[in-house]
This record gives sequence, C-alpha cells and structure tokens, in this order.
Amino acid sequence: MHPIEVLGTYWQQFLTGAGITVALTGLSAILAAVIAPLLALVRVAGNRWAQWPLRLYISFMRGTPLLAQLFLVYYGAGQFRPTLEAWGLWSFFRDPFNCALLVFAVNSTAYQTEILRGGIQGVPPGEVEAARAVGMTRVQTLRRVVFPHAYRIAWPALGNEIILLMKASAIASVVTVFDIMGRTRQVFAKTFDFSAYLWAALLYLALTAIFIALWRLAEARLSRHIDARERGVGTEAVTRGAGA
Amino acid sequence: MTQAATGEKVVVRADDIRKNFGAVEVLKGISLQAKNHDVISILGASGSGKSTFLRCLNFLETPSSGTVAVHGEEVAVKNGRPQDQRQVERVRRHLGMVFQQFNLWTHRTALENVMEGPVQVKGLSRVEAREKAEALLARVGLAERMAMYPSQLSGGQQQRVAIARALAMEPDAILFDEPTSALDPELVGEVLKVMKSLAEEGRTMIVVTHEMGFARDVSTEVVFFHQGRIAEKGTPDECFNRPQSEPFQRFIAKIR
Repeated sequence: MHPIEVLGTYWQQFLTGAGITVALTGLSAILAAVIAPLLALVRVAGNRWAQWPLRLYISFMRGTPLLAQLFLVYYGAGQFRPTLEAWGLWSFFRDPFNCALLVFAVNSTAYQTEILRGGIQGVPPGEVEAARAVGMTRVQTLRRVVFPHAYRIAWPALGNEIILLMKASAIASVVTVFDIMGRTRQVFAKTFDFSAYLWAALLYLALTAIFIALWRLAEARLSRHIDARERGVGTEAVTRGAGA
Repeated sequence: MTQAATGEKVVVRADDIRKNFGAVEVLKGISLQAKNHDVISILGASGSGKSTFLRCLNFLETPSSGTVAVHGEEVAVKNGRPQDQRQVERVRRHLGMVFQQFNLWTHRTALENVMEGPVQVKGLSRVEAREKAEALLARVGLAERMAMYPSQLSGGQQQRVAIARALAMEPDAILFDEPTSALDPELVGEVLKVMKSLAEEGRTMIVVTHEMGFARDVSTEVVFFHQGRIAEKGTPDECFNRPQSEPFQRFIAKIR
C-alpha cells in the first residue's frame, strides 16, 4: 500500500486516536497543575514531617519507569477487584483510560512540583518583602507576587514536561487505550504497512508543534515586563547593584 | 527639643529592642519614639544595626526582645514570632517602607505598583486607586512614565515610584532604609528632593541614611547607632555642632 493510501483509508482512526491522546495528556497535565503548586509550597516552606513523605513520593515517581507505574495500577486494580468493588471504585479502574489518566497525573504532579519549587525559589526576595511591608496577607503575597514570578521562571520547563508527557502517553496503548499509538497498532495489524507508524510519528510531531506555538505565546505574555526593556523605551544608567 | 511633655501623638514607639542573629547580638537595647511630624535620621557605620532596627519596626524582622507599638497598639510577640499575623499586617498598613534596592514588583508597571496596595490591602476600587496613583506619580515627577515597567526606569525613577507606592497607603509614618545608597551619584538628588518635600509637608519619617546633608538640614532628630546601641541622639544642631560621644565624633570627622 502506498503511504498516502494508508492515510486516505484510515485517517478517521488516526484522528480519533489524536483526540484521545490530547484528552489523556491534557487532563493529566491539568490535574497535575492544580495540585503541584500546593505541593511545591510544602517543598519550599513545609516542615520536616510534611517534607519527608513528599520527597519519597517524588523520588519514586521520578525514579521508576512510567510503564511500571502504569502496570502497577492497571494490573494491580484487576487483582484487587473485589476490594475496589466494595469501595465502589471498580467502575473507575476497569477503564484503562482512567488508569492511565491517574498514573500520568500522579507522575506529572511529581515533576511539576519540582519544577515549580525551583520557580518559587527564584522569586526575588525583595519583592516578597515589599508585599509584606505593604500589609498583604500570606495568600495575597503568593497570588500577587510569588506565583506570577514563579510561573514565569518555570514556564519553559513546564512546557517541556507537558511535551514529554504527551510523548510518553503512547505507553497507554499497551493497556489497550486507543490513543494515536493504539489506533496505529490497529491499522498496522490490518495493513502490515510500516507507514502507519510514520503517520503516527508525524501526528505526534504536529501536536507538539502546535503546543509549542501556544506555549510560546503565553510565555511572551508572561514576560512582557522583561521584553519591555529590549523594546528600548528604556533608560540611562540603572543601579549600581548592591549598596553598602 | 521641647516636644517632650506637650502630648504630641506618638506614632511609633520602640522599647529596649534587642535582636540576635544566632550568637551575634545586633541590637543591644534600642529605644526610640517617633511623634507626628518627626523626621528622624538614623546614622551609623555598616553593621551598626540601623537597618535591622528599622526592619524590626514593621516586623520584617522580629525583635528577640523588647516591644514595638504603633499608634499605641503593641505587637504581641511570643517565642520569637508575632502572635497574631493579622495584627502585624494591620501595623504594616500604617507604616510605609522604602527599600535600598527599591523592590518594585517588576512584573507590574509603575502605575500598577502604586495601585496594588490600595486595591489589594485597603480594598479601594480600581478607579479610585488609579486616580490616586496617577496623582502621586505626578507628584514625584513621573507623570510621563506611569505605563513603564521598572526595568525601563532608572534607579532614581524606580525609587520615586517606590515612594509613591508607600504614600498610596496613606501611612502614618514612612520608613526609609538607605533609600539613596544603591543610586548612581547623579540620581541621588532627585530622590532626596522628593523626601525633603515630604518632610516639609509634615510627614513622619524614619530614615536610615548616609546622606549627612539630609540628616543635618531636613531631619528634626538625629540618632547615631554604634555597635547595636544608640551612642548619640539629639537635634541636628546639637549632634553635628556639639557631638557628645566619642564614636560619633570619630564618625563625623571621617566624613568631613
């Protein structure tokens, strides 16, 4: 079969697969993005007893293969089916998409937490002091000063993490999720034509390219105050750095 | 000075403030009060504890012992921490602060920097806060630069925005922590001019500074810190023309 023919015949399969890939990656990235800032704060300012389990969790997530984590949940759930049924959770774990979503979200939370921790630690301390001095509450200081800076600093690394997650999501096909990779394996099983994988690769490439473009737009918005200087409206001498 | 027993309003009162950093005692019992319209200049060599003392007044540092009262409200400290965070926030609203490194919020424009406190902390409407911020920025001579980010402003301009930001909260006193020390010499004048005009309109100010001209000509009281203690205190005239303590005599001899 000609590669174009493969695409012409099976494009709908590829497209629904892409939908699943986007949903799986997007949802898990968003879930992680909701939890990670809270955990990052604990990493920066939490006490020893909060730190210890958190660090354990993060090193487990970063130190073991994603595939192993997925198998652990997917096959583990099967093994504990009676218990899960008793708790009313079986209907969730029965669906491989849900298992993959859970694992990816929990995994990405670990990475995003560490990335944001770095961002928070890079916030200029003087600006935090200025917020306190003006009488802001802790929450206001976080919302108005700390996180805007932390996200701007962490933004490229967060984007990177999401791209890695999107590509790693192909692993979900192993537990019968019909994402891009899952659909491609179906197509290949029918055609025995390697070009199915070529189209899959190009589809992932297109998704990443679109994502990067959007992410850059957002980054430009977050960095307006830095770019402003390069636009050159700027100034004569600035400061002499640290004074006496 | 004759203000002692006339019942003038005390804005800030510090009693026997001590501060340790580990084993080092930086402040060894400082007492000071600022009444309405006082302009107090705090002088001293680096390491004499003057900045630390200023930061104890609005609890950016917590005194190891001693008390700080703002408007008669004494801030409760227990185990080296303020007991009530809300009380600290309330006290800070009454005390503006201007930092050596300006510490403007770099992700906000000059106007947004000045509006931020009134909107977030005092709950003013954006419209109201904006009007006020525009007036204040015009006052410090930055009417043309309101839409700029701090990175587009010179040090002197940034510091003037920082002063406008402090004024926007309508504080009862403003703390200045070496406001001109990070500036190029040619930019010092514009900041001092603004500070002088504030003093002239009767603002209560506590200024940690190395600017002898300001201390002598603008302030109502001079305090000299030496090794964590107050070594000299009086009117500018008394201090500069008839210095009593040996460390202060040496200090001004070096400057002349």
